[in-house]
Amino acid sequence: MTSLKTPTPDQLCFQPPTALKELIHVDCASHVYPDGTIGIHQMCFRVFESEIVALCGPNGSGKSTLIEHLNGLLTPSEGKIVVRGRLIGSKEAADLWKDVGIVFQRSDDQLFAPTVLDDVMFGPINMGIPYANAKSAALSALKAVGASDLVHKLPNFLSGGQKRLISIAGILAMKPKIIALDEPTSDLDPLHSDIIERLILELKNKFTISVVIATHDLDFAARIADRVCLVRRGSICAEGSPADMFYNDRLINGAGLQPPTVVQLYRAMCIEKGISATERPLTIQQLVEVTSKKIVE
Amino acid sequence: MSTVPTTTFSEHIPDLDLITWYAENNKSVFAFMSPWTKFAILTLLVVLVTVLHSIILLISIYVAVICIYLIAGLPAKKLILWYTLPILFVFSLIGILVWGEPGFPLISLKIFGLTAILTDKGVLIAISLLIKALTMVTFSLFILMTTRYSYLATVIERIFPAPLDQIFLLSYRFLFLTISMTAAMLKAVCSRGGGVIYSIRMQGKIFAEVFALVFIRSFDRAERVHKAMIARGYKGHFSMNNEVPAPSQYGMISIVIFSIIVIAILIASQLKWGLNIL
Repeated sequence: MTSLKTPTPDQLCFQPPTALKELIHVDCASHVYPDGTIGIHQMCFRVFESEIVALCGPNGSGKSTLIEHLNGLLTPSEGKIVVRGRLIGSKEAADLWKDVGIVFQRSDDQLFAPTVLDDVMFGPINMGIPYANAKSAALSALKAVGASDLVHKLPNFLSGGQKRLISIAGILAMKPKIIALDEPTSDLDPLHSDIIERLILELKNKFTISVVIATHDLDFAARIADRVCLVRRGSICAEGSPADMFYNDRLINGAGLQPPTVVQLYRAMCIEKGISATERPLTIQQLVEVTSKKIVE
Repeated sequence: MSTVPTTTFSEHIPDLDLITWYAENNKSVFAFMSPWTKFAILTLLVVLVTVLHSIILLISIYVAVICIYLIAGLPAKKLILWYTLPILFVFSLIGILVWGEPGFPLISLKIFGLTAILTDKGVLIAISLLIKALTMVTFSLFILMTTRYSYLATVIERIFPAPLDQIFLLSYRFLFLTISMTAAMLKAVCSRGGGVIYSIRMQGKIFAEVFALVFIRSFDRAERVHKAMIARGYKGHFSMNNEVPAPSQYGMISIVIFSIIVIAILIASQLKWGLNIL
C-alpha cells in the first residue's frame, strides 16, 4: 500500500447534503501501524445525521482501521478527525466512546462478560449510569434487537447470529449518536443477515442513529445504504448514491470489487432480451418491478 | 433442553462447556439451593476431610457426596472418566509418600541397593488420600454443575479481593474461547491424518507449533477483546450485577448442623476421643 493516488474530480461524484448536520469529519487522515503497514492514507470521509453510509472495499483496504479511528481507539498520525465538534486525540474527546459505538467484526471479541445481561450493561455502567437505570437500558436494548429471551444466557451458548445481536444491543444500550459496524453480516446465514439488515434500518429510522457499515458485501450495501464510499488502498476513491456507485463499472472495478448480484443480473437480462438498461434497480424487488415493466412494454 | 455442547480434547479432561451447560440447565433441587449454602458446605467439607483419618468415615462421606451428585442428575460415566487426572495426581504423590511407613510389610522392593517397603499403613494412607481427593473433586464438580455461572461469578467477586476477582471474571470466557480454538486446531490436525497420541510421537514439532500458535492467537485475541472493552469505556474495573439468593431457612439449618458435626469431630480429634474411628 505505497502507491496511493488522490481521487480525480470525476470520481468524486458525491454532492454533500447541505441540509444535514455533519457528525464526523475525517480530514485527510493517515495511519501507519507500528510494523509499517499503512492503515489509511489521506482519508477524507464524512458522516451526516440520520444516514446509513457504507464503506465498501476489498479485504485490507482500510475499512476497519477507519472505523477504529471514529471512536478514538486509534488516532491518526497525520490529518485530523472531528467527531461532533471534538478533535480526536484532544482531552475533550476522551469520552468519545459515548457518542460513537463500534460493533466489531468478531462478536467473540466483544462479548467478554459471563452473561448476556452483564455484557449489555457493561457500557451503561461505564458511563456512570446507576445500576437500575443501566439494567433498564440493557433490557430495552435487548428488546430492541429482539433478544429479550437471551438475557440470562451465557455468550458461549449463543449462535453466531445471536452473538451479533447481543453485540449490537451492547452498543445500543449506551444510546450513541453514531454506530459503526464492521462487517455486520459476515459469517451469518441469510436469515440472521436479514435480521441484522432490518435492525440497521431500524437504528436509523426509529432511533435516528447514524450508521457506518464496513462491508465487502455489495448486495447488502445496495439494499440499505443511503450513501456508498468505495475504499481502496486506505483512501476513499469515490462516493455517492448506491445507484451511482454500483452502476459505474470503472469505479467498482477500480476499487477491486464486483457489482452487486442484482446489477449483474439486470444487465445480463437486458442483454439477453435485447433491451436497454436505462433503469438502475438495486434490490430484487426493484429488479422485478423494472423487468416486469420492460416486458409489458 | 438444547443439545449438550462438548469441547473435548480427551474424555478424561473435564469439559468446561458441558459443566457450564449442566450449571445453566440443571433442574434438580440443588440448582435452586443458594450458592452461599453450597460454598459454606464446601468449606466445611474441606475442613472435615482434612482432619478425618478414619477410612470408614471417609468412605461414608464419599458415598454421601456421590449420592448427592447422582440425585442432582449429573453424569456418572463422565465423572468416572474425569477421575483419571485426580487419581494420577494422587498416585504421583503417593509414589513417594507411602513407602517406608511403619506397619506390617506387604511388599519389599530393592532399587539401586536401597530397600523400599510398602506396609499396611502405607496402603491405608494411599486409600485415605485417594478418597479425600475424589470426595473434594466430586463435590466441587457438583457445585460447578448445579450453580448458574452468574451466581458463581458474583460469589467469587464478593469473596476474593481485587485483582483476583477481576482475573477470574475476565479469564472465564476467555478460557472457553481458547479451549475452542485449541480444539479446532487439533481437529484440523486430526482431519489430515494426525492424532493426539500418534502426532505427539511422530510429529512432536507440529504439536509444539500448534500450541505456540494457540499462545500467539490467545495473545492476539486478548488484545482485540481489550480493544472492544476500551471502546465501551472500560477503565480497569468490571463488576457483576447479579443478586445471589441468600440461604433459605433449610439451608441455614443444614449449615448449622454440618458446622456442629465438623466442630465436634475437630474437638474429638484434639482430645483423642475415639481415635480408633476418627
